[in-house]
Amino acid sequence: MASLNEKVQDVFNEPACDKNQAKGEKERKKGCTKQLTPGAAAGGCAFDGAKIALQPITDVAHLVHGPIACEGNGWDNRGSKSSDSKLYRTGFTTDISELDVIYGGEKRLYKSIREIIEKYDPPAVFVYQTCVTALIGDDIEAVCKAATTKFCKPIIPINAPGFVGAKNLGNKLAGEALLEYVIGTQEPEFTTPYDINIIGEYNLAGELWQIKPLLDELGIRILSCISGDAKYKEVAYSHRAKAAMMVCSKAMINVARKMEERYNIPFFEGSFYGITDTSESLRQIAKLLVQQGASEELLSRTEKLIFREETRAWKGINRYRPKLQGKKVLLITGGVKSWSVVSALQEGGMEIVGTSVKKSTDEDKDKIKELMGEDAHMFDDMRPRDMYAMLKECRADIMLSGGRSQFVALKVKMPWLDINQERHHAYAGYVGMVELVKQIEQALYHPVWAQVRKPAPWEAELSDITEAKAA
Amino acid sequence: MSQSAEKVLDHFKLFREPEYEEMFAKKKAEFEYPVPNEALQHTIEWTKTEDYREKNFAREALTVNPAKACQPLGAVFAANGFEGTLPFVHGSQGCVAYYRSHFSRHFKEPTSCVSSSMTEDAAVFGGLNNMIDGLANSYSLYKPKMIAVSTTCMAEVIGDDLNAFIKTSKEKGSVPAEYDVPFAHTPAFVGSHITGYDNALHGVLKHFWDGKAGTVPPLVRKENDSINFIGGFDGYVVGNNREIKRIFKEFGINHTMLCDPSDAWDTPTDGEFRMYDGGTTLEDAANAIHAKATIAMQTISTEKTVKFIEEHGQEVIKLHHPVGVGATDEFIMELSRITGKAIPDSITLERGRLVDAIADSSAHIHGKKFALYGDPDTMLGLTAFLLELGAEPVTVLSTNGDKAWAEKVQALFDASPFGTNCKVYPKKDLWHMRSLLFTDPVDFLIGNTYGKYLDRDTKTPLIRIGFPIFDRHHKHRYPVWGYQGAMNVLVTILDKIFDEMDADTNGIGTTDYSFDIIR
Repeated sequence: MASLNEKVQDVFNEPACDKNQAKGEKERKKGCTKQLTPGAAAGGCAFDGAKIALQPITDVAHLVHGPIACEGNGWDNRGSKSSDSKLYRTGFTTDISELDVIYGGEKRLYKSIREIIEKYDPPAVFVYQTCVTALIGDDIEAVCKAATTKFCKPIIPINAPGFVGAKNLGNKLAGEALLEYVIGTQEPEFTTPYDINIIGEYNLAGELWQIKPLLDELGIRILSCISGDAKYKEVAYSHRAKAAMMVCSKAMINVARKMEERYNIPFFEGSFYGITDTSESLRQIAKLLVQQGASEELLSRTEKLIFREETRAWKGINRYRPKLQGKKVLLITGGVKSWSVVSALQEGGMEIVGTSVKKSTDEDKDKIKELMGEDAHMFDDMRPRDMYAMLKECRADIMLSGGRSQFVALKVKMPWLDINQERHHAYAGYVGMVELVKQIEQALYHPVWAQVRKPAPWEAELSDITEAKAA
Repeated sequence: MSQSAEKVLDHFKLFREPEYEEMFAKKKAEFEYPVPNEALQHTIEWTKTEDYREKNFAREALTVNPAKACQPLGAVFAANGFEGTLPFVHGSQGCVAYYRSHFSRHFKEPTSCVSSSMTEDAAVFGGLNNMIDGLANSYSLYKPKMIAVSTTCMAEVIGDDLNAFIKTSKEKGSVPAEYDVPFAHTPAFVGSHITGYDNALHGVLKHFWDGKAGTVPPLVRKENDSINFIGGFDGYVVGNNREIKRIFKEFGINHTMLCDPSDAWDTPTDGEFRMYDGGTTLEDAANAIHAKATIAMQTISTEKTVKFIEEHGQEVIKLHHPVGVGATDEFIMELSRITGKAIPDSITLERGRLVDAIADSSAHIHGKKFALYGDPDTMLGLTAFLLELGAEPVTVLSTNGDKAWAEKVQALFDASPFGTNCKVYPKKDLWHMRSLLFTDPVDFLIGNTYGKYLDRDTKTPLIRIGFPIFDRHHKHRYPVWGYQGAMNVLVTILDKIFDEMDADTNGIGTTDYSFDIIR
């Protein structure tokens, strides 16, 4: 069994990632996420990354081995939806005490697993390692192995303690755990030439459900979605899919690549954000399936569906055009590819004044230039202070971003719309884009923004440029 | 029997026991001669239609479920806001029992109030003797500093003359000649509780300013730098008046709260019974004539008083129950203008925090439809705030709001894109509202406790803002004025929105895919 250190090195060396491949040997070893700067604000840890990547598997008991900090602050905090079991929303933790730190927490972990099996009888238990239990040397892999034998149930160790790195690394380590312990351990009842995997889709706000009807109509079966609205067995037999789509590329690319290597499942990177992207993804899925032996007529059926859905979506977006024409949008995104929504916003008559490229590849950047012109404002990793300054300077009408940046937008007196994981509306697929444009329209025309941009009436002389703009 | 001494079941549980269920069923089947269930359902459904609504709105004489109370209730409210003052209602004692229970149910505090207990003979021969005895008895029994007299309909119908009666009572030695007995005629068949408040407050001011019913020379106004504040009939008076006093303090403004029952309706439990507590001192009430200006927070609730004050040479700032950013801005800036004092930074910060809170939650109220009813000034304040929040106040109704009020509401609608589809209904009752909730459905209803029947009938969730609120406790402690007050109103509305969202998604295994901990 590979040590954690080896595994970290392994995921750092990702041949399917062009960014990674462009690096020198030494650089690659440092990993793909930037080293953290002590004292500077930072995002989630590897544990968090692993947890959010796997938590959407709905019928599994997710047990966090560690002190209350890790699960206590984080349980059930993502809007990934389930059509079936709600067990994934229950917070399980060993909640270790001082004595456990001194004497070791393995026994408590084992007992906790037993109690979960006795009380909940889930198809599997995922055990998450955390900093403290890793530091005191609790061997969760050994405990899980013993428990698996004892209870005749897969007890899966997810070895991604927070200190090994950032969230993105945790996503990958979670993927490694699936590859090592889950994928390929069960067989589906039957297979079809139209079985696909969708990897890196978390069904946030039920987005998968906006895509599924389209696939259903084409007769394409999602054999397994890793991990949105997934059941354990679906992930376990995902190796029987004919093709795969990688949705959030930087998070689980190792899973897609290794499944291609091991099980001959070709994959492509795609997105369900944006109309052209959704169409392109559907085309790719059809193409790969035909390549793998599905009937050729799938291609023409797919084109027909695309034509119908696109017409409907553009028409839907066009309705909002009169109120959105000329509005300036700033995109600050995390996992969602910026360019993939650009075309929808442009169709709504909006102008994109800037976009972040924090997680974008060179190819992404080229696409952005293609859509927005050579002088497109692209921004790399941005401190809130810079974001604030930029928002003021570039005078956008609205910012689309994740929840963490919302308060920057609000302080700079700008309407804001959540397009990350805590959003309440689903923006995927064709209908999703219409919904996004509708939400932008709503946000832009909320009367509070006029209020926000005006200083208190008695402070009129202190008004700044944003007020001049509002007027 | 399921009832036993060991475990006594209360009314929530007892009548669900089988023997009662059986008894009710039997009674219904054998004695009630009910209409067939289909006919009943048919009628229920019919009451939800446009056809029924038309007939409902064609009502000319009958009022069903009124959203107003009577004049003397307002008069008692006003009297209760003065130091050591006993509200004395000349008329029948039953009315007075209503006022006391009404206020006690809302404020969860006792309300001191007496009547002259007129009976049939008094109705025939006039209530003078009741006044003479009543004033004498209440003066010696309860030792008030002032007795504020108002009237019930009974005294008004027979035309008792308060001025003459009080004069005669003093001559007969009921109370000392120089003792303060302001009065107001407050017939319930005119206006509503807000009219009564107005008349009673006017009566007190007239008494002190205009020479105590001809017994002393009228006061001559010598302008000073003080500001009078009149809150009007206000169910949130405990929270509001304290908040307003805090704002005055932040500014450093000398002020007189004209009518301040915030302490009388919030006495501590410390072993001492306070029949009277706090309130505007009689000296302050008299000296209020010298103030630089008066702020009328609910002008429709104090029309007569406002006119009286203006006639005595004071500027009156006329507001309509300001709630929200814009309305509170106006209030704060008027304070600054009339006093010449700069707006304190602390207030500017509070304003910023309110705007921030509205922005943070903007998506959840935006586009939601509301129906609201209540006193006319309250409706103006809430309507403006809802429009500010991007909500649509589709139905705004008031039983005691008139045409002039409706025009003011319409002006608010006209000034906002969110007011396009909104309609105002003056002089309508809660049975009209019921029809409207069926034919023009909304997401939420805003009103007092009586709205709970509408909530149940029409499945429109009720947000309790108004007076009276009997079935929720202590709401009156939280201000709705000032930026902090608007924050409370915002939170009250949001709480209900999220409660509904949760209730709509909590089906185990059915809808709970959206039963989220983060909203």
